Amino acid sequence: MQPRRDKRAALADAVALVADGAVVALGGGLSARLPMAMVRELIRQGRRGLHLVGSAHSIDVDLLVAAGAVRRCEESYVGFEQDLGLAPAYRRAAEEGSIEVAESCCATILAQLRAAEMGLPFLPVRGVRGSDIGRLHPEYAEITCPFTGETLVAVPALRPDVALLHAPAGDRYGNLHLDQPYVLDERFASAARTVIATVDELTSSDEVAAAGVTIPGHLVAAVTEVPYGAHPSSCYPRYAYDRGHLREYVTAAQAGPDGAAKYLAAYVHGTGSEAGYRAAVGADRLSALGAWRESTAAWKGLFA
Amino acid sequence: MSVTLDEWFVVLLARTIRPSETVFHGFGSPCAQVAMHVARGTHAPDMVLVEGATYAVNPEPLFIPPTGNDASLTRGAAYTMRFEEFFDAAVRGDVDRMFLSGGQIDGFGNTNVTAIGPAGRPKVKLGGGGGGCNLAATIRHLTLWTTRHRSGRTLVETCDFITDMGHVTPLGTRAELGYTGGGPEWLITELGVFDFPAGRARLRQIFPDVSPAEVRLATGFDLEVAGDLRPVMPPSSAELAVLRAVDPLEVRRSEFSSSELSRAFTASAEPDCAC
Repeated sequence: MQPRRDKRAALADAVALVADGAVVALGGGLSARLPMAMVRELIRQGRRGLHLVGSAHSIDVDLLVAAGAVRRCEESYVGFEQDLGLAPAYRRAAEEGSIEVAESCCATILAQLRAAEMGLPFLPVRGVRGSDIGRLHPEYAEITCPFTGETLVAVPALRPDVALLHAPAGDRYGNLHLDQPYVLDERFASAARTVIATVDELTSSDEVAAAGVTIPGHLVAAVTEVPYGAHPSSCYPRYAYDRGHLREYVTAAQAGPDGAAKYLAAYVHGTGSEAGYRAAVGADRLSALGAWRESTAAWKGLFA
Repeated sequence: MSVTLDEWFVVLLARTIRPSETVFHGFGSPCAQVAMHVARGTHAPDMVLVEGATYAVNPEPLFIPPTGNDASLTRGAAYTMRFEEFFDAAVRGDVDRMFLSGGQIDGFGNTNVTAIGPAGRPKVKLGGGGGGCNLAATIRHLTLWTTRHRSGRTLVETCDFITDMGHVTPLGTRAELGYTGGGPEWLITELGVFDFPAGRARLRQIFPDVSPAEVRLATGFDLEVAGDLRPVMPPSSAELAVLRAVDPLEVRRSEFSSSELSRAFTASAEPDCAC
């Protein structure tokens, strides 16, 4: 807890705080505010054996799986919704048995993070029994409530080694402002041992305070300014998600490991850095994602 | 008045919502998402509509985007719940209805969105259940839906994996499991409408271009048919107008195969209301 220490770090140094085999919590959800710059940097650094935890995710998990960085997946959902379908690399790895899939549930993960935040060994949930999700989690245990006699399911505290969070804005001390939905980012920030953040823009502390501090700097170990650091997911109010880029990825990865490797070569390994990534995507394409604020027609146009 | 299958289907989902209910849809659920706005814009103006993964309360989006977590879905909402706030409300029993789908659905309304084949080494790894394995226990009513009934692979005798609990699981009934929610109330498919008397799916209404024999052929569990099986009620012009206005990108159509999308109907006797 060092609220007045300058937490600014180079992306490569910040991501070096993630060890091989670490339990890594991914912020954001679905197509929004995914910590993609850190995901790409983990892949560039050749990280292995990660245990990913999160709620509903998409290209962040799929890309890490495609790159061979993942040992175990513990999310409530990984995919591209009805629009682009199943997550190609995650699906392939699960079907081949090259990753362990301990699919979880949003409400269970929430209870597990709250237990960690409170320093408790577990919290009970009412559901899960009767669902086969419990079979994927031998660590769960049935307990009897000492007051009502109800049978409940005890789920253990979840304390990620590292939480990777992306925010539209923050200051050098790691104070972060997020737009809703925050998803599990606040819970990850207090449950995890180490929090690493990227922000689209580093601003003054006064600006972050005026916008509202969602995650306080005393919980954050390192902060790095990475414009478009959530691309191709969205980071409102700055940019909408890049549906065309997601489709390009899904199409490539659906073609098989070679297709995924080509994407990784073009957008991750071959770019060398996030500046290289932005150049590969194209400045015009990136700035066009801000058109959502111009008009309803322009916003719709981004998704048509 | 001409209506396509996807439009009629969404209207049927909307009609499962009672006035004043608090209703939620998960992500990857464009039909349910559009249906909630149809209900709020017609027979259920006082409902509390919780907009999927944004948790926005009663928003008035100008269009439904192809992703469930987009700021366009929060437009006009005076309030947005936090993730925790929604899940707390749902598990303590303050949410009246949720829409759930599945790659497999059995006759008790158990659903599978996790994996086809053995879970340890699946033949097809599906996306996953989101919050379902807790929410299905405590949310008051569930409306199930599938747009893939005709495939013959969706309504099955036994799910390969139960992600979300229906009326009876291998561990027992909802009462035996101590669940406070009532379980599946309706199952809407592109062939017809099922209810769940005594916890088992029963065909109650059928689309006019579908025969009971076709439904039987596509259904993997023993098909029970209501004695007074009826055609599904046609949409009203008000329902269609709200639907077309809220879904100009037609994201609802992404749930259907192209052959189902070519089903079009001319609704003759148009009722004034959805009752």
